[in-house]
Amino acid sequence: MPRDKDTISRFHNRYSLPVTDAALAVEREVIGANVGASGYTTVAQADALIPELRLRPGTLLLDVGAGRGWPGLYLARETGCDVALADIPAPALAAAAKRANEAGLSGRASPLRAAANYLPFQSSVFDAVVHTDTL
Amino acid sequence: MLRACNRLLRPAGRIAFYTIFIPPGLSRAEYRRAARAGPSAVTSHGRQQAELLRSAGFTGVREIDVTEAFLRATRAWYEARARYAVQLSQAEGEASFHERQRDYRLQARAIESGLLRRALFVAERPH
Repeated sequence: MPRDKDTISRFHNRYSLPVTDAALAVEREVIGANVGASGYTTVAQADALIPELRLRPGTLLLDVGAGRGWPGLYLARETGCDVALADIPAPALAAAAKRANEAGLSGRASPLRAAANYLPFQSSVFDAVVHTDTL
Repeated sequence: MLRACNRLLRPAGRIAFYTIFIPPGLSRAEYRRAARAGPSAVTSHGRQQAELLRSAGFTGVREIDVTEAFLRATRAWYEARARYAVQLSQAEGEASFHERQRDYRLQARAIESGLLRRALFVAERPH
């Protein structure tokens, strides 16, 4: 679905907030880990995606609306797959790149600026697509 | 977007997504209440996701309801944030903090009333 300017602005502002100890504690309690999440997909729900998407080393995953890299980076770390992380807000993509680097996933994770309704990729390149509450 | 995802996938490629949606069959007043209570990015249409996936060319469509977990997570965000209200208000701004807390309350009530659902949808691009 198209995201209007208000929605994009709201997400941009939210992703620009400083990551405080309080915010990390809340995320751990709700999501189950500090993974850059701000929505409703828990770690258990991310784990459920692995067999559904048949992720393994060498497969290429596209995470649409990836935000700070949740759950795409987690799925790459857990399965060995490669991942493209697509979203619009620059602060989110910067955070995703930082998280990928810290997790040693820079070589397998590619954050890029792209809207869900315009994904600038060639046809038939991905093995799996995931998104969480983007549609 | 689903048509674009279908195009990007290799044959037999898989799509899986969690999504929040307004269930079909609500009255106009209920629909308005649901749209107000749900996150703005996920409530713009009421068409069933499974139907959208099939019309985008996917097969083997499955829906796994996770609405109870959605309600638990919504309550958990509200309650955990409330315990850190002082720190989060400083970081987010007081008005913004209280607005988000109000949104979580409204959303929880809407889920409890059956006005919002969340599900995992899984499908495959045909060979």
